[in-house]
Amino acid sequence: MNTLSKIKLLLISLVVLGVSGCVTPPTYVTKGEEFPSMYIEKPKSLLIMPPINLSTAAEAKDYYSTTVEMPIALHGYYTFPYQLTADVLKQQGVYDSELVYDIPLNKFYDYFGADAVLFTKIAKWDTAYTVLASTLTVSIDAEIKSTKTSEVLWEYNGTVVIDLSANGGGGGMAGLLINAIATAINTAAADYTTYAKVANGRFVGSIPYGPYHPLYLKDQQMKVIQQRQNEKPMEKVAEKASKEASE
Amino acid sequence: MKAVFIVVFIAIFLAGCQTTKPMYEYEDYAESFYSLKKEGGEETAVQWKTSLESIVEKSKAKAVRVPPGVYANLGYIHLKVNNNEGAITFFEQEKAIYPEATKFMDNLIKKAKAKG
Repeated sequence: MNTLSKIKLLLISLVVLGVSGCVTPPTYVTKGEEFPSMYIEKPKSLLIMPPINLSTAAEAKDYYSTTVEMPIALHGYYTFPYQLTADVLKQQGVYDSELVYDIPLNKFYDYFGADAVLFTKIAKWDTAYTVLASTLTVSIDAEIKSTKTSEVLWEYNGTVVIDLSANGGGGGMAGLLINAIATAINTAAADYTTYAKVANGRFVGSIPYGPYHPLYLKDQQMKVIQQRQNEKPMEKVAEKASKEASE
Repeated sequence: MKAVFIVVFIAIFLAGCQTTKPMYEYEDYAESFYSLKKEGGEETAVQWKTSLESIVEKSKAKAVRVPPGVYANLGYIHLKVNNNEGAITFFEQEKAIYPEATKFMDNLIKKAKAKG
C-alpha cells in the first residue's frame, strides 16, 4: 500500500467513525431553504428575552442569560443591552418570557424598535454521574420571531452532551473539542457558562448572518441541520404557562 | 508557473489574515457580566463598569466599532446614580453608532430628562 492510499483509508475510516457516532443522521439543508423569512424580512436588531427555564437547575436561567448577547452580536446583529432591557421588561411587568410568547410582539417594536425578538428555552441542564463517566446534558431551544408579524423567522432545537470526566472519550473532532474544554474546566474554575457557550456556538451558527457581519446576505447556501420537521417546542411552553396561570 | 502558484498562495494567506481581525473588542465582558449576575453587590458592579469602559478604550485604540449595547449599558449605570446628563451623553453615543437603537435610546433620554 502506498502512502496515498493509506491516507485515503485513514480519511474514509475517520468519516465512517464520525458518521457512526451520530444516533440519527441529521438532514442538512441550506440556510436559504430552511429560513427564507429571515432573508425576506432581514431583521437588523434582536431583543434577547430572558431565558425560559424548564430545567431542574434553578440557577441556570441567570447564568445562561449572560451568554447569549455576545455571540449574537458577533454574528452581525444589533443586540439590545440585555442588562438594561431585562430591567425595563421587569418594570413593565414582564418577569417571564412565557407570558409574552403568545401575544402580538409589535409592542416590542413600539418601545425598543426591535425588528425581532429572540426567545431561548433551557429544556435540559442535567448532570449524570455513572461509574465510567459523568456528563452534562444541555438542551437549548431557540426562536427568532418577527415584531411585525409575530411569525417564527428562525428556530433551533439542539442538545449538547458534555463529558465532564476529562479523560473520557467521545469520537471525532467534537469529542476532542469537548474533552479539551472539559480538561480546562477541571483545572480551572468550573463554570456553567463555559458549557452554555458550547451549546450557543451551535445554535448561533445556524442563524443567517446579520447586517454587521461581512457574510450578511451571502450565506444562503451554507448548510445547516434541518429544524422544521420538529414540532414547535416553544408552543408547548406557552401552553404549559397558560395552563399554570389558569390553575 | 511555480512562482504564480506561490504568489496566489500568499495572496490567499494574507486575505485570510485580514478577515481574522475581530469584529469587536469584548475584553472580559462575558466574565464580568457573569459575576455581576452571579454574585451581585458593589464589587461586581464596579468590575462591570470598568469592563465596559475598557471595551470603549480598546475599541477606539484598535479602530473597531464599539460593540452593541456597551454605551447604552454605561448610560444605564449613570442613570441609576442620577447622573442624568452623563447618561444622556452615552445614550446619544449608542444611537450615533447604531441607528437600530434610536427608538429605545430616545425613550431612555426622555426618561433621563424627566428625572433631571
